[in-house]
Formats: sequence, C-alpha cells, structure tokens
Amino acid sequence: MRYQSRMGRKSVTARKVQLATAAMLLVATTATACGDGKDDNAKAGAPKAPATIPELTKDPLTLSFIWFDWPPAQALEAFANAEYKKERPNATIKVNTVPNANWHDAMFTQFAAHKTDFDIAILDSQHIGEAVTNGNILDITDFVKENIDVEAYNPYLLAAYGQFPQAETGKRDENASLYGLPLLGDTWTMIYRKDLIGDKPPQTWDEMISVAEKCQADNPGVSGLAFHQANGSDAAAVTYNTVNGVYGGNLWDAKARKIDGVLNDAAGQEAMDVLVNKMKPLTAKGSGNWFIDEVNAAVAQGKACIAFNWIAASGGLLDPKQSTLGTTREQILDKLGFATLPSQKTNLVPLGGMGMHVSAYSSAANQAEALNFMEWFERADVQKKWAAAGGVPSRTDALESPEFLNAGPFNQVYTDSVPRMRDMWNVPEYARLVDIENTNVNAALNGAKKPKDALDDIAKEQQGVLDSGSRKGGDGL
Amino acid sequence: MSDPVPLTTDRPVQEASSTPPAPGRSRRLTDRGLAVAFISPALLLLLAMSVFPLLWALYLSFTDYSATRGGPANFIGFGNYTAILTSAQVHTRALTTLIYVCGAVGLQTVLGFGIAYLISRRTHGRGVLTTMFLVPMMLSPVVVGLFWRFMLDAQFGVINSMLGSLGLGQVEWLTRQRTALVSLIVVDTWQWTPFIMLIALAGLTAVPKYLYEAASIDRASEWFRFRTITLPLVWPLLLIAVLFRAIEAFRLFDLVYILTNGGPGVSTETLSFHVYKVAFLGFNTGTASAYGILMVLVVIVLTQLYLRYLNKLKED
Repeated sequence: MRYQSRMGRKSVTARKVQLATAAMLLVATTATACGDGKDDNAKAGAPKAPATIPELTKDPLTLSFIWFDWPPAQALEAFANAEYKKERPNATIKVNTVPNANWHDAMFTQFAAHKTDFDIAILDSQHIGEAVTNGNILDITDFVKENIDVEAYNPYLLAAYGQFPQAETGKRDENASLYGLPLLGDTWTMIYRKDLIGDKPPQTWDEMISVAEKCQADNPGVSGLAFHQANGSDAAAVTYNTVNGVYGGNLWDAKARKIDGVLNDAAGQEAMDVLVNKMKPLTAKGSGNWFIDEVNAAVAQGKACIAFNWIAASGGLLDPKQSTLGTTREQILDKLGFATLPSQKTNLVPLGGMGMHVSAYSSAANQAEALNFMEWFERADVQKKWAAAGGVPSRTDALESPEFLNAGPFNQVYTDSVPRMRDMWNVPEYARLVDIENTNVNAALNGAKKPKDALDDIAKEQQGVLDSGSRKGGDGL
Repeated sequence: MSDPVPLTTDRPVQEASSTPPAPGRSRRLTDRGLAVAFISPALLLLLAMSVFPLLWALYLSFTDYSATRGGPANFIGFGNYTAILTSAQVHTRALTTLIYVCGAVGLQTVLGFGIAYLISRRTHGRGVLTTMFLVPMMLSPVVVGLFWRFMLDAQFGVINSMLGSLGLGQVEWLTRQRTALVSLIVVDTWQWTPFIMLIALAGLTAVPKYLYEAASIDRASEWFRFRTITLPLVWPLLLIAVLFRAIEAFRLFDLVYILTNGGPGVSTETLSFHVYKVAFLGFNTGTASAYGILMVLVVIVLTQLYLRYLNKLKED
C-alpha cells in the first residue's frame, strides 16, 4: 500500500514545494555561473601598467607564457630559464603551447572568461586590436617610456608588435599607445636549391616563376614551388597578401575602412592570377593543404626547387636527421640557399613574428614579474644572447650583431627584410577577416572557385564584416 | 533450544521490506528523503552543466552579446534567428551536412547490416570477429582523423602509394571539392560502421530460430526468409541505430577539423563547424547561441517524427 500511495498523484502542496525548489536551484546556479555581473558592465579598454616596475616577490613564482607549438617556443623556455634565472632565481618560466590552429582560441577564450592561466600572451601582431578593445592586455605606454630605449628599434617593428591603433606601414605613431614589446621577429625567406637552379637566387617574382618552371621540367619528381596554401590559421591568406604586395596591391584603405574596390582592384586581380594560374601549377599535387611543416618536409626531402617559409620555422631544414639533402649541416647548405623575397612592382615582404603582452587578469605579483621580464628581455646584451640561442631579436644592434648574423644562414635575410615589411589588418575583426581570406584563397588554389570570384568574394565579405556595426542580429555570419 | 539460523536468504522480498528501520536510523530520514539525498548531486550537476547552459544560451540567442567584447547583452528579438535562417552561408553548410549525413549513415547502415548478417551466420569465431570490427569505434575521433590524414596525403600517404603500385594515378583526397567530402564520409564510415553492426547483430541473434525452421520446412528460399523474417524483425532495431548515428553525424565537428578544416574553401564545412567559427573566431556569442538552439530544434523535430514512425511500425 505504501508503494501505491507513493506512485499516486502528489498533493498540490508537494508539487508547489518541488517547483519552488527547482526554481531556487536554477536561480542559484544562474547566480553562481554569472558571478556578480561586474564583468558585463566592465568598461572596455586596456588597463594601464605602472610606469615603473613594482616591487618583485621573493617567493617562488612561475611566469607563464602562451604560444603555439613550434621550435621557438621550446627555445624561449630553455633560454629564459637559463638566463633569466641568473637574475631572478625564484622565477621559473613556463611556455605553454597549443597547436597553431587553436592559438587564437586558446588565448581569447581565457580572455573571455576574464581569467587566464598565463601571464604573458604571445600575440600575433594582428591580435592586438581585439585584445586591446576588449581590455584583455595591459597598456604599457608609460612603462615603455620609462624602461625601454625605443630609439634602439626600427620604428615599424616596435609599432607592429605593440601599437594600437595600427601604424601606417613602415612607420610608428609616437603618440599612439603601446600594448606589447617584440619577442620574436619573423618574415618569409625564399629557400632555393643551389644545386638545381644555381647559386644566384632569382631577383624578380616573374624570374622566380620561370626559374621554378624550368627546374620542375628538368627534374622529374621535384616540384617547382612549395608554399603555404592551407585554409587554417593564416596560411593561404599570407601567401596571397605577399603576392598582392609584390604586385603593387593593397589590402585595404585603413583610413576609410574600405576593402571592396581596394583589394580587388587591377593589381589585386593580377596578384590572384599570378598565384593561381602561374604559381599553383608549379606545386606538388595535393599540396592545397600545406602549411609550415609540409613545406619544410618537401624541402628536406628534396621535393621542391624553390620554397617560401617563415624564417623562425626554418631551423629544422639544417638538421641532417630530418633531411635527405646531406648527412651534415655543411652538405645541406651546399644544396640549400636562403634569400630575401624577389621583388616585382614593389619589394614588400610579410611581417611575421609576435610580441609579449601582459594579461590583465594575471595576479599583481605576476604582472610585476612579467614587466620585469620584458624589461630584461629587451636589454641589448640579452637580445644578442637570444639571437645566439636561435631567436630572432628586434633591436637593430642585435640584428646587426655577429651573434645573430652567424647563428643561422637565414638571419641575414631577416635583417635585410626589416625595412621591407608590411602587416595585415590589426583590427578587432581580424580573426574573421583572415578566415574569409584563407577560405577563399584556398578555394581558388584548389579549384573550388574561380580566382576573380574568390577575390571579389573576399572583398565583399570582408567589407561586410567591417560594416556590420549597425546590424541587428546575425553578427559573425 | 532455538531454531537453527538459515544459511540462505530465500525468503520473499516483501518480507524484507516490511522490516522496521534499524534503531540507529534517524526518524526524519524517510525513504523519500533518502531518495532525494541520493538524486540531488546528480540533479544539481545536470542543472549546472546542462539545463542552465541551455537556458542561458536560449536567453543569449535573443541578444547581440559577445563573450569577449563584454558590455550589456542588448535584446534584439528574433534578429539572430532571422539572419541565420536567411543566410546563404548557412544554407550551403546545411546542404553539405545533409549530403554528409545521408552519405555516411546510408553507407554505414548497408555495410553494418551486411557485416552483422554475415557474422550471425557463422558458428565459429563470431566473438573474435565482432571484437575486431569494434576496434575503430573505440578510438578517439581525433586520433582517427590524424592517421587518416596521413594515409590520405596525396604526396606521402599510403593510399596513393598503393594506388601507384597498382598503376593508378594520384588522387587529391583532401584538397578537391568532391573527394574531400567523400573522404570524410569514408573515414566516418570506417569508424562508425561497427556501431550499426553491433546493434544489427543483437537484432539478428534475437530472431527466434523456430521461424527459420518453419520456413525451411516450407522450403522457403534464402531470399524469402531474409525478406519476410530477418528484415522485418531487425528493422525497428536498425532504425534506432540509424537514428543515433544520424544525430551524431548531424553534429560532426572533429573529423572535419582534423581532416579538411572545412576545405577546400568551405566545401566540407558542416553546420557544427560553422557554429564553431561564428562562436570563436569573432566571439559572436548571441548569433552562435541562436545557431546552436536552431540545430537542437532541428534534431528534436526530426527525432520526434522518426519516433512516431517507429511507434507506428511497432503497432503495425
């Protein structure tokens, strides 16, 4: 009977009690999950870092970075733990890494939660706008004035890795705020097979294409070119932007915030035509999803006459264990040459590399340590040591030092490329702009879209993103 | 002299339940209270991890909220829903998802049922064969995606190497519009055919043997027996397996992310992959929430229709 009474209809009071309990639980859960609501009303904009470094803790402390997984990340952790510890024995440096494709998400999902497990975010130059607008990183303008010798840098390098709003190509606005300092400089290098095309690298883009064409015809099984074409990260977008720059095109009119009509003008169309109709046929079959590792693999296995890759990722090419080009570094260097990119209508090259940016959500002690680390890292002697350890410094004296120039065969390429650099858009909408460009260039390279249609679609969709401020719903589509 | 203590407890259960509570037990702790105490942790977890996020996403779907930009969540009515339902980009992804779901689930059903039918006819080694076929299902989709990516690589992959040794040309499995989607379907089929096989095998082994014996006496052909006995009895169970697989395939993300990243262009971007981009590339949380809610609604409506059909089938 007891069983029957339990299974029977509940009394109205009992049901009310149950409903009230469920409602209370839901309210409590909501309140817990939403916190005190301060976050939602927090004023946008980056908080300021102190001009001088606050007193540092004497307790053991771990200074955490976040970067993507590649050789410079391991080099930074080893270098910092070896050198910085001499000055701050209680500090341990930890460089947390994520796959390249997750890099933006890993940082910005933590920023969105207003809680980070890293103290220094290593942001791509184009991420700065998004982080600054959302108040995720510290404004270090006053700190830089007090602690950093800004005259020691090429102005554009300092601007590219720290300034927001974005600087004009090649310049720095001294009145603009700074949110980061250079960590690793980078650009593309042209890697060419000296044994197949000769010691002298091609000087113009057109010459480079004809040399690659001849090399491919003369060497069956070896493709003329290898470059980034994947639709992840910024792979295909950087490739198109590089060709666009070389052929005199522009990505946008920054002042008017205009892309449609600028990117797809005659120069932009010519660049897309060169990329899809002249360069793509010289690549290996199925290379439409290649990025850094795949290009390096093709070079190391002797499958490409000319390749383009980021300098910071090229170190492995000289490792005999990873190469079929020789059993020693010298043998490999007999076959591989590194040169600055050929020029055509302009001599622009892509700006790569990243800066250090202090998380606004890190503890006060860790923020102080982060500022101290940055001040230490930008010293002239430390920059030279970083160069000797395999890093690419940004101070001019370090870039011209024997420590840097003798550390790798491609380092001279970087030093020569610095005055030629051009960056992409550094705006809060960067992630969407680069995705639009990546997917469309990738589609054109893999025959899923006609080159002209792809370029027009990029211009139209990117313009839509920049103009979407007044839209009521559907942002992000 | 007292009665001997029984060594076995073969008394009816009803007698045990009428035993009064132990002396140490609180008078306040009724059976109902005990049940609530046991259920509460799970209930709280469900509220915090499932019900609240769903309701919160429903609320955000009517706003222009962005997780990174902060600021207030402005109410914009059905703006997000209208934009999603009228977006050409969403229509393209919906078509891709539909082709993928139909292709993958269809292939898996045919293969899964076929394998199960063949295994069910074996008397020896059935266990070993079943276990072997189940291995792909036990692997992480990320692991599966990574090794298939290597195998399908046009230059260095083992598949093209095998095709080459047979005198066939190289195929760009992951970088051409048509082959990329086919590759996704093939990889998903490789991993999930065992699931259909397992359920179909359970159905096949449950078919009463006397039906086959009766059919044999009537000298019914193999095809007649399959068509009139095997298939009708296994069909409802198979449809449930198809339902599970279709729901899983509808929200495919991991294989796309690893194998093609949605490419070439956006030709293998599924709805889930597109939601991910909307949510995390621009952090358009409001739009992404509406997108997610719409996807849930589609699954619920289609599942309801499907279940009604299943019930009707059962009644017939």
